[in-house]
Amino acid sequence: MGYVWAGYGITLASLAAYAVWLLRRARSLDRRAR
Amino acid sequence: MKRSTTSSGLTISLGIAAAVALAATVTLGLTLPRTVEQAEYSRLIAIHPGIAWTAYTAAVVTALASLLWLLPRTRRPSWDLLAGASAELAALFTALMLVTGSIWGRPTWGVWWVWDARLTLSALMLALLLGYLAIRRVPAEPEVRAKRSAMTALLAVLVVPVNHFAVTWWRTLHQDRSLDLTPEDSLDGAFLGAMALGFLAMTLVYAWLCVHRFRVARLEEAREEAFLADAIEERRREAEAFST
Repeated sequence: MGYVWAGYGITLASLAAYAVWLLRRARSLDRRAR
Repeated sequence: MKRSTTSSGLTISLGIAAAVALAATVTLGLTLPRTVEQAEYSRLIAIHPGIAWTAYTAAVVTALASLLWLLPRTRRPSWDLLAGASAELAALFTALMLVTGSIWGRPTWGVWWVWDARLTLSALMLALLLGYLAIRRVPAEPEVRAKRSAMTALLAVLVVPVNHFAVTWWRTLHQDRSLDLTPEDSLDGAFLGAMALGFLAMTLVYAWLCVHRFRVARLEEAREEAFLADAIEERRREAEAFST
């Protein structure tokens, strides 16, 4: 089951990390624009 | 709470739908029954084909947006921004396709990697997408950069259909297509349902991320323009001060 958990874990962690980076970047650019 | 300019009612709804679909995919995928051939490893079917589909979709969106930028009648700066946003996601999903495929291959094939047609073309697809993103970062006039990127995208997308049919055209270690939509399709109903949900979830996640990435790209462009305008104004003032 370790491989299955690894597959799901890496996928979810990568998507979550990218989404967080994107939202933080948006907030930072938005703040500078104001 | 102050709302970010990259979110709206529609994107919030899209984000909630993506999160719900992804949670359902994970729950259904992890509770799929063990199979005789692959034991519990077949549970990866809920995410791996959906990730691959999304990688292809993102690459095709990049190519279509590039084509729309190249055609004089439909040329808008937003097509170039959409192409760049979608390409970044295509690279992310292609990398995930390679990683989850490799994790699935290790217990079922006995190897992490093999240079067969499907895997090699997937690696080539990732290299082309990274090359495209590198080209976008080369300093140039926006028009020149957009043209250069659009032509690269149209060449890079050619790998998508070849990669899709690679398992049919060549003998590969990778199995044939997971879904062929024929009455002879041998996939069990539970696996078919989990895979279909995975397709939907990954597509919704891609759509949500793409909308946000596009808006971030627009904010980045506006910042660059403001920076350039400030620099020009500063030089103009310097020149005026020097002449008086």
